[in-house]
Amino acid sequence: MTPPELRDLLADALVLWEVAGRVAVAEGGVVLEGLGLRVVAADGDELPIRWWIERPGHRRPCTSISGLLRGLRNAVGAGEGEARRLRVAGA
Amino acid sequence: MIPVSVVTGFLGAGKTTLLRRVLSDPAWADSAVVVNEFGEVALDHELLAASEEVLVNVSTGCLCCLVRTDLGTTLMDLARRRAAGEVPAYRRVLVETSGLADPAPILHALMTEAAVAETHRLHSVVTLVDAVLGPVVLERHPEARWQVMLADRVLVTKPDLGDAAAAERAVQALQPGLDVRAAERGAAEPAWLFAPGEPAVPQEAVARHSEGVGSILIEREAPVAALALTLWMQALAEHAGAKLLRLKGLAALAEEPARPMVVHAVQHLVHPPEWLAEWPGGERRTRIVLIGQGIPRHFPARLLAAIEAEVATA
Repeated sequence: MTPPELRDLLADALVLWEVAGRVAVAEGGVVLEGLGLRVVAADGDELPIRWWIERPGHRRPCTSISGLLRGLRNAVGAGEGEARRLRVAGA
Repeated sequence: MIPVSVVTGFLGAGKTTLLRRVLSDPAWADSAVVVNEFGEVALDHELLAASEEVLVNVSTGCLCCLVRTDLGTTLMDLARRRAAGEVPAYRRVLVETSGLADPAPILHALMTEAAVAETHRLHSVVTLVDAVLGPVVLERHPEARWQVMLADRVLVTKPDLGDAAAAERAVQALQPGLDVRAAERGAAEPAWLFAPGEPAVPQEAVARHSEGVGSILIEREAPVAALALTLWMQALAEHAGAKLLRLKGLAALAEEPARPMVVHAVQHLVHPPEWLAEWPGGERRTRIVLIGQGIPRHFPARLLAAIEAEVATA
């Protein structure tokens, strides 16, 4: 995933979570302006870590895009919100 | 499995008239009818079962999982009486909802109550829209919009009294590509009305929107890995929450590309996977429609692309 693709996805996610902010491409990833967050792609030899969510003095690993979105959602204070788990009918 | 069709529509849309007409057809007289609002109508039919609404909260605690337990109880009681020969062996159940009802909890009740889901199958959701007041009602009442957005097909009623074309436009604005027909005094073809729901897939890549409500079409030429599709649906449910109203379509899975998998979800509740014998029209590609409110139009496609790329390199 390229930094511009990541920027677009995360900008959409902020809209979805109803969080004000702007996402811009930065070295190695993107920054969430106004939110004090930065997302950096992990190096290939860091697998299974794929992303790092960084804020001053803190760095959190994410192993998937789903994990990244969940981590960011918590980091920006949107919390669980209306989050729902997929459920199969009759199960 | 007993097929269940839900007939919904705003107050005065003509649901009772339609059902009376359907039941007068000898080929459809073997239908049990459940009216989801006690005392709203009194259909003269020996299989009529009226259920008083009771709302209970189930373990997930979310609003859409408030189920009308009496609907499940009514269906199971009917099925028991059918098996015991106490009522004629009806071949299907038609559920008429209250005119003010959001049909989602009813669909959830049909899909989540284990005993009901084991013996009944949600076949279709038919929504009636009145040609006289329909466009105004759709504009003013969110319940009416939910009814259209959750429909498999829409019947425009009273076309002789109002502007059926305007009503159809209002419907298509909410769910482009939906199968819409008009009929006077309930004279619609039951075989069309109550056919199993098939995904209505609009031809436009991004549909028109109304007050943030709209449909988004996801298309993929190449088959999608089952894991990617599952993770995508989970992420959508997690992040769109109540903004995601319905998701339906056909998926070409990498593991089974020769036949389409039917994808069908009401909010975060997914039907167990089903397969069609062959691709309709020979179009072997994934086409999934999301109907929602306030979902950024490119988010679902971007999310799927990201997850697909991740799964491909896992």
